[in-house]
Amino acid sequence: MAELTDVVCSLCGCVCDDIVLEVENNEVVKVKRGACSVGKAKLLGHHRIPSPMIRENGELKEVSYDEAIKKAAEILYKSRRPLLYGWSSTVCEADKVGVELAEELGAVIDNTASVCHGPSVLAIQDVGLPSCTLGEVKNRADLIIYWGANPAYAHANHMKRYSYVSKGFWTEEGKKNKKLVVVDPRKTMTAKMADVFVQIKQGYDYPVFSALRAILRGHADVVPDEVGGVPKEQLMEIAEMVKGAKFVMTFFGMGVTHTGARHNNIVNAIQFTRAAHTHTKASIMPLRGHYNVAGINQVLTWETGFPFAIDMARGYAWYNPGEDSATDCLWRGDCDSAMIIASDPGAHFPGPSLRHMAKIPVIQIDPYANPTTEFADIVIPTAVSGIDAEGSVYRMDNIPIRLRKIIDSDVPTDEEIVGRILTEIRALRAKEVQ
Amino acid sequence: MAAESELIIKNGVVFDPINGVKGEQMDLFIRGGKIVEAVSNPKVIDAEGRVVMPGGVDIHAHIAGGKVNSGRLMRPEDGRKGLVPKTKVCRCQSGYSVPNTFATGYRYAMMGYTFVMEAAMPPLAARHTHEEIIDIPILDNAAMPLIDNNWMTLEYIKSGDIDLLAAYIAWMIKATKGYGVKVVNPGGTEAWAWGKNCNLHDAVPTFDVTPAEIVKGLAEATEKYEMPHSIHVHPNMLGHPGNFEVTKATYDLVKGIRPYRDRPTMHATHTQFHSYGGSTWGDFESQAKSIAEYINVNDHMSIDIGSIILGDTTTMTADGPMEYDLYQITGRKWTNCDVELETGSGITPFLYSGKSPVNTIQWAIGQELALLVKDPWKVALTTDHPNAGPFIGYPIIISMLMSKKRRDELAAEVHKAIYDRSELPSIDREYDLNEIAIITRGMAAKTLGLSEHGKGHLGIGADADIAIYDMTPEERDAGKIQKAFLNTKYTIKAGEIVVKDGEVVATPEGRTIFVTPECDQTLMDEMLVTLEDRFDKYYSVTFNNYPVQDHYLPHPYEIKAPWRS
Amino acid sequence: MQTITLKLKDAIVSGVAKVPVEVDALTPDQLFGKSEAEIKAVKVWWGNRQEQTGDLFEVRLAGDAASAEDVKLVFEGDLRRVKRIGEGMKVGEIEARSDVDMHCGAMMEGGKLVVKGSANCWAGREMRGGELVIEGDAEDNLCAMYRGEMTGMTGGKVTVYGNAGELTAQYMAGGEILIKGNANMLAGLNMKGGKITIEGDAKWPGADMTGGEIMVKGATAMMPSFKFVETATVDGAEYKKYLGDLAMGERKAKGTLYVR
Repeated sequence: MAELTDVVCSLCGCVCDDIVLEVENNEVVKVKRGACSVGKAKLLGHHRIPSPMIRENGELKEVSYDEAIKKAAEILYKSRRPLLYGWSSTVCEADKVGVELAEELGAVIDNTASVCHGPSVLAIQDVGLPSCTLGEVKNRADLIIYWGANPAYAHANHMKRYSYVSKGFWTEEGKKNKKLVVVDPRKTMTAKMADVFVQIKQGYDYPVFSALRAILRGHADVVPDEVGGVPKEQLMEIAEMVKGAKFVMTFFGMGVTHTGARHNNIVNAIQFTRAAHTHTKASIMPLRGHYNVAGINQVLTWETGFPFAIDMARGYAWYNPGEDSATDCLWRGDCDSAMIIASDPGAHFPGPSLRHMAKIPVIQIDPYANPTTEFADIVIPTAVSGIDAEGSVYRMDNIPIRLRKIIDSDVPTDEEIVGRILTEIRALRAKEVQ
Repeated sequence: MAAESELIIKNGVVFDPINGVKGEQMDLFIRGGKIVEAVSNPKVIDAEGRVVMPGGVDIHAHIAGGKVNSGRLMRPEDGRKGLVPKTKVCRCQSGYSVPNTFATGYRYAMMGYTFVMEAAMPPLAARHTHEEIIDIPILDNAAMPLIDNNWMTLEYIKSGDIDLLAAYIAWMIKATKGYGVKVVNPGGTEAWAWGKNCNLHDAVPTFDVTPAEIVKGLAEATEKYEMPHSIHVHPNMLGHPGNFEVTKATYDLVKGIRPYRDRPTMHATHTQFHSYGGSTWGDFESQAKSIAEYINVNDHMSIDIGSIILGDTTTMTADGPMEYDLYQITGRKWTNCDVELETGSGITPFLYSGKSPVNTIQWAIGQELALLVKDPWKVALTTDHPNAGPFIGYPIIISMLMSKKRRDELAAEVHKAIYDRSELPSIDREYDLNEIAIITRGMAAKTLGLSEHGKGHLGIGADADIAIYDMTPEERDAGKIQKAFLNTKYTIKAGEIVVKDGEVVATPEGRTIFVTPECDQTLMDEMLVTLEDRFDKYYSVTFNNYPVQDHYLPHPYEIKAPWRS
Repeated sequence: MQTITLKLKDAIVSGVAKVPVEVDALTPDQLFGKSEAEIKAVKVWWGNRQEQTGDLFEVRLAGDAASAEDVKLVFEGDLRRVKRIGEGMKVGEIEARSDVDMHCGAMMEGGKLVVKGSANCWAGREMRGGELVIEGDAEDNLCAMYRGEMTGMTGGKVTVYGNAGELTAQYMAGGEILIKGNANMLAGLNMKGGKITIEGDAKWPGADMTGGEIMVKGATAMMPSFKFVETATVDGAEYKKYLGDLAMGERKAKGTLYVR
């Protein structure tokens, strides 16, 4: 039995890296410290797909890795508009091979940001992002705002490691000298902890941000008595809290990215932060979901120039979310094949997108079976990053951390499998040219 | 290509300033990636009388890491300016002021450069810098970690524990696989984490040390080792009218400190931004003359110019407050990232326009510095890529330094403020090719301490990194000079032809050079007690997960820096 | 006048996947002076492969043109998967006889482009000049900027007979747009110049505007950060005139919004 420390959790964007666990007979047997309940469940492991499979007459039949890879390569190679989607629950080393594959194929490559914080990326491209690393929040922030986010449920360690409950250099007393504001249409678990809960009308975040901005810039007089279900008095109260704080930190989630004005909600949230910054130090950060969604965005950006929703058809990256994002491509019926890796569109994509995905050949690369497996014509199981595969990931604040490999296995990694598909495709191309 | 491949470059006119070769017709022999005395069965390149120089060495550019990628991510409109489809040899390319990693490697190589120093690496995100560098083809490289706003630094400066500071520096450079000590707006960036800034003698909130004390302390601590490069400093008050006095005062701080050998005690970077006179934007004028005079009479300094390229670019520095001020002026998009216990960064696009009197004077200042500093061994050509402009503009600067005629033509096209608020129109000096070779490779290699590791020269044993420019040494036409320096006839890297006729033909991987300062273990252990406590209480990552793992340097080259006896 | 008719072959859109065809290589100025055979040989992108125009379209030429200005392209067939019709066109005319896919008329500089149907997203993106007419609806991002830019449409005239989607004319700097139907949320976002007239309803028009003029003749869901200036009569009808957007601060808020 060995005790391992400094283990890095590969579940959510918190990327907690101080996990202590016990490994025995090449299995994680106990998670002692550091992980939330969801992270713990992942580390302890659950049923994994035992073998590659190919669907024949509606049934998935076990095959060898070589066969599955060969078939996958043939399908992708023939495609006119293949979609390579996912990438967020694997490591950067695998993501890089994916970009190479997309370039080789002239494929559309996209990641889960398209259904998650893609709108936040769009907003950054409009107004930038005044932000900081999570340790800054821990050490300095005395006013925390969660807007359209419920970390008590979805990022369980967030408040105690990084924000409201945490203790740092100028925040030795934890939440005692901090204020928590939660903005949400419903009184969530996190809202119950708040000093001030702002119950906003669903879809009205956009004008509420604009009203706060007008107030912070000295034009409270033009703001009507109620905006988006929020009384003007409460808006004035929030503005005063902002002005009186030493460091305002806003975190936001899916509540604002995919409702109402969508990415313009985030633009407005950032503009609100900029307006706050005329009074005090103010920063803002998206609560990224997957543990390496930030990482695939980083890799795509430095390798192609753009962060997601990229069409490589012409040999360079054409970037246009809404046109080349996976949900849109599938909804419009653009793509003639799809490779889904380290993600689960079967569980998250809208109906029309899935209806088309059901009609085209789908290759799934994943350690685990999930709703996407129902759509897959080829299934290739791989190692779990952070458990039997190591590699680079980027936390929600874009800090790079390396996942450790904590048990051995001979299951190939995502990086290997994507690499073998790429090699096979190059061989097909070389044959054709002859 | 096989390691023992042989190559001969004949009939080239060689400019190798480190070895005193100033335009001599000579043959170069290459074997196994090095310059050798003789070869037996080489491939032959006939340079046909063209200019031959060692591969370019860029002493300061922002090419890889968190803020560079932030710049790319936030600027798809810059990305789409440089779209080039992949070829059989090259990956896809994008970008103009923030090119993707592949374009960065290819475009530098096409200009004949073979080494680039990543100017500023936030230590907590050092892994990111190295991970991007892996994707930059061809170029050898290194990166400098920021060590001047770090809480450990501020605490040791306050307590006067220079030896412990030296131990921290050693730990930091090793943990980040870095090259030296980078200083950016010392103290001011920690103040910025509260929305404030510091001038040279302002106390940093809570830590109660001044930027002046930080600079001096870091220079002293750095010189405890046989460090190849001095501290590399971006002084306080960058970009403010009237800052030239603060700049000179910063340079004065290290005057009494003895460097470990005959090299500067401070390298001051992108000096154009720090040579401003006047007191507001209204009476803004150049004080390049004053800075140049200082550099002329003092031998403890080296500078790089940070010269403006007119047009749209992306500014990005660890000088958070300066970037905020810039965004306030332009109203454009602005990204900020404060890094816990260490540093910060700001990124915002900026347009340098020849119609603006201020931008025109800024444009003149960089050139004035190069022309008024007498000794080219004290000057490196940079644009602080991409802050003053993209590196792809270096040939424009080269052609302007070499041609008074070109400078006069361009002065007539920009704002007339250039005539009464800068010296440039009255300067007749023209750089010759030997001087250009100094400021684009020789000086940087020497100042970085890389010349004894094979860089920046073509003596026996040097790395066979060579640029053959498609011009003869007699060429005086600025347009032809500019064209020649943009796309080489040949670029050779470690003895392999990587660029031919202006096109990339091979993309070998480069090496990352890093320094290992050697510190006494007892001293190190004492420092570690404090450091581990800070990790435990204040950092958001663990001490053991912090250092850059070997995985991130697939081709490492280590330089040891022993403690001075 | 020369008319070049390009009819998309049915086979192109009859597969399980409807891979879009991109026709940015087919504009009056690029095709002027080419023979039928030459036009058929022009390469266009269909997914990740380039095909010959003649393999995707039936090509018919009629009449003569002395210059590109006299050339009219007529696109026929099911164009819902044909992108970039008229992209960058400088002169001449294009008529598209069905609904069209994205980027129709993007970056056009001159000439006239008529869509006899609805246009998908980004029609008239970054338009510089010329005239664009959409007889049906326009989807999101009509005449908007490319991601990251701070300037979108700078010139030209656009008429949409139906409704417009979200984010019409974001970062507009010049030119004129008339929407005869409704405009979905955030028309004129970040506007700094030019004029937008919406005959139907609008939701949150002119957000973050710093210049330019928007007139809404139907019902308006207002932003909470605009300042009432006065009542004004325009072409015999009474409007409330607002100054905005004060969320940008007073110094920048120089946009004008007329609502009923």
